[in-house]
Amino acid sequence: MYDRILAGALLLLSGLVAWAALSLDVPFQYEPLGPKAFPVILAALLAIAACWLMYRPGKNDWHPNAAVLAKLAAGLCLMVTYAVLFEPVGFIIATFVVGSLFSWLFGETPLRAGSYALVMSLSSYFLLKELLQLNVPAGVLIGG
Amino acid sequence: METLNFLATGFSVALAPLNLMLVLVGCFVGTLIGSLPGIGPINGVAILLPLAYAMGFPPESALILLAGVYYGAEYGGRISSILLNVPGDAGAIMTTLDGYPMSKRGEGGRALALSAVSSFAGSMGALLMMVVSAPLLSQFAIQFGPTEYVWLMVFAFTCLATMVGSRPVKTMVGVMIGLLLATVGVDSGTGVLRFTLGIPNFFDGVDFLVVVIGLFAISEVLALLEQWARNDFVITPVGKSFVSVADLLAVKWVVLRSTVIGFLIGVLPGTGASIASAVAYGTEKRIAEGDDEQFGKGDIRGLAAPEAANNASAAGSMVPMLTLGIPGSGTTAILLGALMMFNITPGPLLFEQQPEIAWGLIASMFIGNIALLVMNLPMIGLFVRLLSIRQAYLVPVIVMLTFVGIYSIHGDSFDLFFMVVLGVFGFLLRKLHFSLAPVILGLVLGEVLEENLRRALSISGGDWGILFNGPMAYTLAGATAAALLVPSLWRWYKKSGPRTVVTGAPLAEDD
Repeated sequence: MYDRILAGALLLLSGLVAWAALSLDVPFQYEPLGPKAFPVILAALLAIAACWLMYRPGKNDWHPNAAVLAKLAAGLCLMVTYAVLFEPVGFIIATFVVGSLFSWLFGETPLRAGSYALVMSLSSYFLLKELLQLNVPAGVLIGG
Repeated sequence: METLNFLATGFSVALAPLNLMLVLVGCFVGTLIGSLPGIGPINGVAILLPLAYAMGFPPESALILLAGVYYGAEYGGRISSILLNVPGDAGAIMTTLDGYPMSKRGEGGRALALSAVSSFAGSMGALLMMVVSAPLLSQFAIQFGPTEYVWLMVFAFTCLATMVGSRPVKTMVGVMIGLLLATVGVDSGTGVLRFTLGIPNFFDGVDFLVVVIGLFAISEVLALLEQWARNDFVITPVGKSFVSVADLLAVKWVVLRSTVIGFLIGVLPGTGASIASAVAYGTEKRIAEGDDEQFGKGDIRGLAAPEAANNASAAGSMVPMLTLGIPGSGTTAILLGALMMFNITPGPLLFEQQPEIAWGLIASMFIGNIALLVMNLPMIGLFVRLLSIRQAYLVPVIVMLTFVGIYSIHGDSFDLFFMVVLGVFGFLLRKLHFSLAPVILGLVLGEVLEENLRRALSISGGDWGILFNGPMAYTLAGATAAALLVPSLWRWYKKSGPRTVVTGAPLAEDD
């Protein structure tokens, strides 16, 4: 079932790619093939594969229950939150918040998860920023 | 003689203090990553690649570090296979068959030591084959024109589709998605923007690192989250047993055969450690016929074969990556992408024009394997203790490293969001039994494939007949047809004949 949905989406995608490629406006071109042909070939092959998948979908053996889905959704929310916070709020606070929640999600008690994340975010900030000199956003805490 | 000179150059690169340190760090981190269940070599390399890039290492040093993680992980994968019955990575699935029974009957130490020595022998044997064959292959490949390159890539994708993954059609879909992702951005021939959706971040293409980290590391975090409920492993004690000389002598031919098998399968584009170890195990079982009742119950031959083979395939898969620019496995696809990020195009000219990269890497692998043997014999206790790190402590670190790595490339939050989106996409693909390595292979090779196709047709003035012109093109087209037909004929033959192959393990995973 999921295979069929995916195949439908891929078919749609291949159509869009072919349409977008064919409607490209190429002002000049020195070689016979140009920028359109390759994506069109790929779109055609993708469409063939998608049709085959539609005709013969695989058996679906993924049956997540509500608890698993909730967990996945929570993990996804955490990562999106991390992406939102990372730059404006800064590495230390964002890592502390998201890290402790992740640790808690994987079964650690809130207190220990929080203290672990605090140690992790502080120590890795100085390790990454000072020692390895990576571009780590300081954010509001240090006023960078 | 010339080879020895180059090798000496390589050692002078590999023994420079920075590179020596990096090879040791890479091997250590690799063993660690390989031994932690769930995080295989491909994730390790993916997570470390942006960090290596951001730290501004010279290309040969970055490659030495990442390659160390790759083959180090092939060593580490066996530890959790033997002690937990959970393969640390896909290449170590076969190691559980005989390794775990050995540790259950109290021979954990013997199993770990024997497999470490087999891994070492497999790596070293494959490295020697690499030293001999890589220059030959690169000299041969120097005559390749755009037509041959087009065929070579089509051949690689065909091998991938028919031999890896749950179904050829799903692998093909993966390759197409990867190739299409590669077309995003400004077209080098005409300057036209393609498929950018008007988003400026896509104007110079989809960032390779964001795709790799998203598809592999982020989807892995989601997968770990899903599996977490049943994640209470029991580590069997290592015990005091150790490998004896008699053990080593008993498996010497097994190791030798498995090394050759592993190397050849590694060289073949698209196929990697999981297939190599399965074929080596199956071969040894068949050779031992009549005396094979211990296989699966803790036979040392069944332990030595897959370990020698998966390490040999790691070295083997570097050969086509370095000489042809066509990766032999998912992880080498990432290494290839890493080289391209440093504006180095692997291929036949690499060995002549930039010997410090190709030979520096090869020399560092000799050093790295010796270091790995040391790490895996006396220091094995350390890694065993690390096995019990709880996911509650591990996952936050993985998430943190992926975010830092991606953010440090452009300093733009857009990449973080795009990475998470790709992670969800990768997770769904995995759940539907698509393997992700083909996507990466397509992404890495897409630009080269299109460029060569367009160049070939420029030469012929638009005549597609040039693709069927010349003996090399015919040979490669024939090889492609063979790769397309042989596996299905073989399957058909096996169905009609008696079933002797033992491998029920899924070979779909990315290594």
